Amino acid sequence: MPTIEVSHKDLCKLIGKKLTVEEMKDVISFAKGEIESVNDDLLKVDIKDSNRPDLWSSEGIAREIQGRITKNKGLPKYKVGKSKVIVKVDKKVSKVRPLTVCAVAKGLKIDEDVLSQMIQLQEKVSVTFGRNRKEVAIGAYDLHKIKPPITFTTVKPDGIKFVPLEFTEKLTPKEILERHPKGKEFGHLLKGCEEYPIFIDSAGNVLSLPPIINSDYTGKVTEKTKDLFIECSGFDFKFLMPALNVVVAALADRGAKIETVKVVYPNKIVNTPDLAPKKAIVDAEYTNKVSGLGLAARQMCQLLEQARYKTKLKGKRIHVLYPPYRQDVMHQRDVVEDALISYGYNKIEPVIPKLATIGGIDEKEIFSNVVANVMVNLGLQEVLSYALTNKENLFKKMNSKEERIAEIENPVSANWNVFRNWLLPSLMEFFSNNQHVDYPQKIFEVGDVILVDEKQETKTKDKRKLAAAISDSKVDYYDVLAVLDAFMSELNKKYKLQKGSHPSFIEGRVAKILVENKVVGIIGEVHPYVLENWKLEMPVAAFEIDLEEV
Amino acid sequence: MAYKLTDEGKEYLEMGLPERNLVKLLESYPKKSVSIEEASKKVKNFHIALKWAFEEGWISKKENQLTLVKIPDKTEEEMALEKINEGKEVKEEILKILISRNLVIKVTETYKRTEEEIKRYGNIIGELTHDIIITGLWKDRKFKAREVEVVRKKLDRKKIILGKRQPYNHFLLQVRGKLVELGFKEMRGPTIETEFWNFDALFQPQNHPARDWAMTFSLSYPKYGKLPSVSNKVKESHEKNWKYKWDPKIAMQLMPRAHGTALSARTLDSSPEIPGKYFAISRCYRPDIIDVKHMIEFNQVEGIVVGESLTFKNLLGILKMFAIEIAGARKVKFVPDYYPFTEPSAQLSAKHPQLGWIEFGGSGIFREEVTKPLGIDVPVLAWGLGIDRLAMFKLGINDIRNLFSRDLSWLRNQKAVR
Repeated sequence: MPTIEVSHKDLCKLIGKKLTVEEMKDVISFAKGEIESVNDDLLKVDIKDSNRPDLWSSEGIAREIQGRITKNKGLPKYKVGKSKVIVKVDKKVSKVRPLTVCAVAKGLKIDEDVLSQMIQLQEKVSVTFGRNRKEVAIGAYDLHKIKPPITFTTVKPDGIKFVPLEFTEKLTPKEILERHPKGKEFGHLLKGCEEYPIFIDSAGNVLSLPPIINSDYTGKVTEKTKDLFIECSGFDFKFLMPALNVVVAALADRGAKIETVKVVYPNKIVNTPDLAPKKAIVDAEYTNKVSGLGLAARQMCQLLEQARYKTKLKGKRIHVLYPPYRQDVMHQRDVVEDALISYGYNKIEPVIPKLATIGGIDEKEIFSNVVANVMVNLGLQEVLSYALTNKENLFKKMNSKEERIAEIENPVSANWNVFRNWLLPSLMEFFSNNQHVDYPQKIFEVGDVILVDEKQETKTKDKRKLAAAISDSKVDYYDVLAVLDAFMSELNKKYKLQKGSHPSFIEGRVAKILVENKVVGIIGEVHPYVLENWKLEMPVAAFEIDLEEV
Repeated sequence: MAYKLTDEGKEYLEMGLPERNLVKLLESYPKKSVSIEEASKKVKNFHIALKWAFEEGWISKKENQLTLVKIPDKTEEEMALEKINEGKEVKEEILKILISRNLVIKVTETYKRTEEEIKRYGNIIGELTHDIIITGLWKDRKFKAREVEVVRKKLDRKKIILGKRQPYNHFLLQVRGKLVELGFKEMRGPTIETEFWNFDALFQPQNHPARDWAMTFSLSYPKYGKLPSVSNKVKESHEKNWKYKWDPKIAMQLMPRAHGTALSARTLDSSPEIPGKYFAISRCYRPDIIDVKHMIEFNQVEGIVVGESLTFKNLLGILKMFAIEIAGARKVKFVPDYYPFTEPSAQLSAKHPQLGWIEFGGSGIFREEVTKPLGIDVPVLAWGLGIDRLAMFKLGINDIRNLFSRDLSWLRNQKAVR
């Protein structure tokens, strides 16, 4: 799902092999990537896996490709040293942002590519994986400007002042939320908090106000920065640990030495990051049951080594170790897929399963098709409209009373924010779009409307309806009645008409349609008020019936 | 008002009405009597003669024998025929009888005009009408020639506007037909779904990035639906595997269906046939930027194949079959893909004869965490086809919004044969 930008040259360097763009297009599918566009050296890549944040940077993509096309197979090894940095977690943060995990990365040669990938990865991980910084906010700082130990604590909204990134003046946290672009964007995450979380060092320098912004002094990473302090803050280690591992693994791949940080909680001590590989067991027979390939266990091991696993065969079971930046392996099925990707999807022979089944169209669709064909035979043009519309079209323009209908909470457009509860407005809208086209215009639609119904599991019900409308310089009730009559006759249905009243139609020229003494629809001449609302200059006669009742 | 004798009327004026001829025949026999058989041979239009002579009481009938009762005077009808022939007026009720006997016709404007035209131009007939046919006016005359190699302008006046099926709908019908041919049964489900069927039943954890793989709408009214009984098992699966507290309130939230897979989940929960093949063409809704390639309301074609010992090879087999049968492709290509509810997952590209390589489908084998809680113990292959691009190509459309065309001229201009 995330789209990232990578340098073609940089990616080749990381893989350790020169590849043309065409070749890259091919092999990037090992990382579930798809090159969307190429602009000189810049590749725009869509990574389809929204549960593999480790793939959202050049470094991660390179690891996956390396295993498949170079000698660099098996588990990537990460050595972790021990730094002297300590982070003290004040119990006050438990109310606002209770957890943090941290790391140190030393001896990094930061160039343009490294910097841009680092920033992009942090961004994608905190936005997509970290749910817009709610679950994960990441900060990276110049270690040399920090005087450990660092404290993760809280301050009153106006309890401290520091210069945030991209600014030159000192602001209080409250002012940052009001004035800084990031404060405006993410301030809602601190809504209702009496105090705000803050990382501060022993010299009293603020590192950051998570999950909003770093300070300009410590939190500005440039090409001159060599050693980094990194923290992730949030609510759940399940998100924080993998996020930190993803970020530091990428830095380690760039040559940084990773060191742990001692995070001291009021009731426990956690040393992070934990880059020890994770374990799983895969049954060789099971893998063939899924794949249908009939592979030997040894071959499976080779395929998994290519997918950056370390394997050990014990009888029919493959014991695997996989990299610490992965948090997606839940079932042995997940491991099988990695082996299949190594094998190559296009080397697998597609086999159509021999299953004797009888096909069939849903009865509602069969009937709708019959109905539509009858209407076409009667000389009417079928039209198709969106079920999404707006109240103005459904009620105001139709001169009718507003009813309770299904409404969208997060519409993208005011034109499409409710579901239609009848079809005729769709036909009226169609007429209003086609006033320059030859008359007579005779149209119909067979489609679903959505009605609110408390009794249903989904509190709503789809209803298949038919609406037909005729417009011409001279058109009346009997013109459309002739269509209804022929239609009912074709369906072999007896119907009756009963004087009715409806605000969209002219009084005295509107009737209820009854089948077996049940009202199934309405027929009439559309009121000129309504025509005027749709800016129509020709009269319209129409009917609408519920196809599920006839 | 002018009246005129029809051909039949003229004949009777000259030869006598059939009933008068019958009377004359009977009169000629000594006993004033004759058999029906004999009379029918000698009197033209015998049945008409019999009907009227009998009704007037001029003859009687005993078994097969007809006998003269009285010889009538010249009747009003006979006199009327003469008068009309001379252009004189006759009584209304007699006229009615003669018109009903098709002996006299009201002279219409067109008839008069034709008569005048004939006089003026010689023996030429312009419009051939009902009057002209029944009065025989056309006989021994010629017809004015038409411009048979018609000029467009002439025809515009008479252009026929056909009723037609909506082309995109028609395309979807063809796809539906194809899938049925391939042994797939159509699934049904509501447009408005609970998040449960859209997400939870498909093992997409609440408050987790895997749930965000596609943006979705939600409803502000009605807000919450009901949970089905299977939700307990789904909750267990979520809490055990994703390690969080599953919230029924989130699962109850209503939303317009974001993908057809919601229907597959419902189908799996309602004791499907095993082996079984199912499909749905469903309207789906997702928030997106509305442009030539994206619309927030669209159709998805999706389905499942349920059966003992189905494998990834079979998944690719099904996809290839779709590419050949539906997209008319000769070659296919598969690449790894991701869906939170399938593993392994594959994307299908098909080489269309004109479009080249197109992404044509997404697919995978449902995770066991999806199928087991729904009570399914066999593999389930899940697939979806991107047919809108194909539809746009077939219909010559560049803007996806025009699949639901608002342009009547365009709809009227669609051809039955492309």
